Amino acid sequence: MNWLSISSGAFLAAFALYCVAFLLYVISVIGRKWNNREPAAHTRKWSGIAFVFSSLGLAAHLVFFFARWAGAGHIPTSNMYEFLTLLGMMIMIAFTILYAIYRSPLLGMFALPLTILIIAYAAVFPQEVQPLVPSLQSNWLRLHVTGAALGEAFFAVGFAAGLMYLLRVTDYNDKSAFARRSQFWLEFSLYVLVVVAGFIITVFAFRGAGYEASFLQEELSIDARGNEVMTTRTVEYQLPPIVKPHASEAVSVQPFLGLDRPLFEAPGWMNGVNAGRKFNTVIWSILSGTILYGLLRLIARKPLGAVIHPLLDGIDPDDLDEISYRSIAIGFPIFTLGGLIFAMIWAEQAWGRFWGWDPKEVWALITWLFYSAYLHLRLSRGWHGLKSSWLSVIGFLIVMFTLIGVNLIIAGLHSYAGVS
Amino acid sequence: MFENTKCECGHQNPPDTTLCESCGKPLGEEALSDRPLEMRYDGVARRSQKKNPNLIDRVWNFFSSVKVAVVLIVITLIGATFGTIYPQENTFINFDPSYYEENYGLPGKIYYMLGLSHTYESWWFITLLVMIGASLVICSLDRVLPLYRALSKQQVRKHIQFLTRQRVTYAADLDGDDEEWTRKLGELLGKKRYRVTAEKTALLAEKNRFSRWGPYINHIGLIVFLLAVLARAIPGWQMDQYVGVREGEAVPIPETHYYVKNLDFEVEYYADDELPDRLKGTLRPKRFVTKAELYVCEANCGSTALEPVLRKVKEHDILVNDPLEYKGLKLYQFDYDTTPRLKAIRPVLTDLKSGETYGPFELSILEPEPEYEVGPYRLKLITRFLDFTVNASGEPANLSNQPNAPAFLFLIQGPDLPAEGETFFYFPIPTDRERFGQDLINGEMAERFDIRVTDMANVEFTGDVSYLNVRVDRALPYVFVGAFISLIGLVMGFYWQHRRVWLRIDDGRLTLGAHTNKNWYGLRSEVAAVLRAAGLEADPKSLDNGGRNK
Repeated sequence: MNWLSISSGAFLAAFALYCVAFLLYVISVIGRKWNNREPAAHTRKWSGIAFVFSSLGLAAHLVFFFARWAGAGHIPTSNMYEFLTLLGMMIMIAFTILYAIYRSPLLGMFALPLTILIIAYAAVFPQEVQPLVPSLQSNWLRLHVTGAALGEAFFAVGFAAGLMYLLRVTDYNDKSAFARRSQFWLEFSLYVLVVVAGFIITVFAFRGAGYEASFLQEELSIDARGNEVMTTRTVEYQLPPIVKPHASEAVSVQPFLGLDRPLFEAPGWMNGVNAGRKFNTVIWSILSGTILYGLLRLIARKPLGAVIHPLLDGIDPDDLDEISYRSIAIGFPIFTLGGLIFAMIWAEQAWGRFWGWDPKEVWALITWLFYSAYLHLRLSRGWHGLKSSWLSVIGFLIVMFTLIGVNLIIAGLHSYAGVS
Repeated sequence: MFENTKCECGHQNPPDTTLCESCGKPLGEEALSDRPLEMRYDGVARRSQKKNPNLIDRVWNFFSSVKVAVVLIVITLIGATFGTIYPQENTFINFDPSYYEENYGLPGKIYYMLGLSHTYESWWFITLLVMIGASLVICSLDRVLPLYRALSKQQVRKHIQFLTRQRVTYAADLDGDDEEWTRKLGELLGKKRYRVTAEKTALLAEKNRFSRWGPYINHIGLIVFLLAVLARAIPGWQMDQYVGVREGEAVPIPETHYYVKNLDFEVEYYADDELPDRLKGTLRPKRFVTKAELYVCEANCGSTALEPVLRKVKEHDILVNDPLEYKGLKLYQFDYDTTPRLKAIRPVLTDLKSGETYGPFELSILEPEPEYEVGPYRLKLITRFLDFTVNASGEPANLSNQPNAPAFLFLIQGPDLPAEGETFFYFPIPTDRERFGQDLINGEMAERFDIRVTDMANVEFTGDVSYLNVRVDRALPYVFVGAFISLIGLVMGFYWQHRRVWLRIDDGRLTLGAHTNKNWYGLRSEVAAVLRAAGLEADPKSLDNGGRNK
């Protein structure tokens, strides 16, 4: 038994506990209307139990984190797997803080699936401990990553509350053009979440089946001193290749449902590390997510939003609006410190400039500018409630693009190593 | 136009005041509605609301608007995204404008032509930042001064309408003495860390007023930050140079009087048992360090004839994340090159006609002698290239100052040669000899002479090259001070809330109003807790006047 195996055990425990806690929060919210009980007492009892389970999950998650730290010899924040599990943990911390203030089990019903989705997504990336290259050996970097993750976690909870607000207030009986538009975009947001789930399921399904394909890719790059360097490398796929890497030749492709060679090639403008494979993954995610969404629709026979909407009956939307705003307001100074100030101090030490307009830096700034616009708009009449909730959804989209999208399509100093 | 701005309480308000500065009675349009009051800046008149604005007023009004600020932020945000589409020019050390078209085709060409390849240095982006700066200053001044005035002279007894039209409000009939009730409620509010001012049967309880200044402190910090960033354009405030230093050598740092010496460079790689399976067999650097010494040049600086006079001022092991610092000058570990390169060779000169061999002679690649005596021949060095290439106009040139492809052009004089001598090109590295066609260049002389290294024992290699990034950034302390002030402001503004509770008791009737700038939930629970402690029935939710700023 060593630290790393304790750590991975704790990870599974945390995952299981979160799933159970999610179901308990759902029971505490929807069980109010079951007969033979008094709603307030039911909510108090079940949300208490749910909170115990989500806290146990967080405790297991903390064990995972610190055991991995002990086992690896450095704080686990340096690759995609570690970062996303950290983000999940921070969301749970942010949730716990906001739950302590507002005691809303509804928040658990939305924050927990978000955490579950993020840590399941993390598990898609290679989980081995990687030794750090010299530029990553910095305490400021560790503070930067942890701080940024905590700030973003509050934005994530703000998003969860914003989404709840939208699900609460969207009237599915209203047939006006405005209402239809809200219904559409809300449904689209839910569809995107289903796509993420579809992606995770697909990756684990093919991984379980041991699927493999590999390509030889030639890449022309320009090194630090302006010389052109031609490199050839092998790109391994774990999903059947619908799209192959740019300028590559197939080495081996396991046939899947008659698909024995790639259908087309990734465009050259996708610059990220292993862009072709990532693009292939995106296509698979959309395919499988759409199928999953279609199945859910077949079962429900109405929009997913219309399924959730009645569950939120009787909940004061103003409270949801306030929780969303409060969460973002708490997260903003933390994000400023962790995401920007610590990052500037580290950049100054590692590269000699506190700001270099690297795409990841720019997107962190964009995130910050977006939320400052949000906070200023909260001062105006007419920007509370509906518009504000939509902004919290868009804001979280920007956060996720900064964290993952930038690495997917834009190359830069922050390109984490990792598959898919 | 005459406007009566005197309130019924006798206070003379400036025009456009929406809530009497003294008693809080709603004035003007605000008096006509029964919705919760617009409490921003306590309803005071701001400079930007002046009638008949002149040009300066108009500029002021424009920048004092929060809506304009938000629009500026959003435009900047969208503008910034453009710069992340393709790599920016500043990411290349040797920038070649044809890069964009070659790598990205027509979109790349358009990108470059629009100037988006240097988005963040472009005039429009800088203008946006300056406008945000102006907005920060003017928005803040326009609000902070009236707000300060309003908060520093608050009246305790407020108009009844002011209380009933607060977002959190409560009214009840009380049994007992009015003044006794006031005292009791004041005491309970005091326990919640409110500062209480009572006036017989009226009371004002206030806490965390300082949090109101948070946004303004944040804005001051941002202004300092922005000014510091702009100050980097001042000549001499910023320097960014790269130097490559070979082990054992000292090189001058451009734009300065300093020299840096590389005593030793070491790179350590992770051993295979430290790497996960996927990375085994790869060279993953664990640590690289340049043992460096910094010298200041006191005489003969930059002279080729005389040795510069150097005085050592600092020594430091430069690591990534640990630069050498001396008086604002910082030397960062940037890159390294451990490829072996020729330092000196000992070739022989062969007379191909007679088969006679002369030498060997010592030929230093980096510091060759002007002349060599080899047997009966004299080799005069005309020129030397370290990294030979043929440039666009067909002339020989240097690609870099690293001896990647050294080449020597000699003038050979001696027996059977014209008195003025014959030229001879010599490429010490065999592949360069093929690549650049030494025999073709030398023509007839190629059949007459050859210069060759006959044995690897006659080859000496240089040490590793460490590349250092030399920086000066005088604005840096101001940048971080600005960022830090801004953070303090954010924390003040977001983690505390300014809460005020007013109440008055008129003949046994309690009227209470409460206001906060954030976190209404917290305020409601607090007021409800105080009321319950006083024996009054109050549910937090029931205190809500339904007044969202919708």
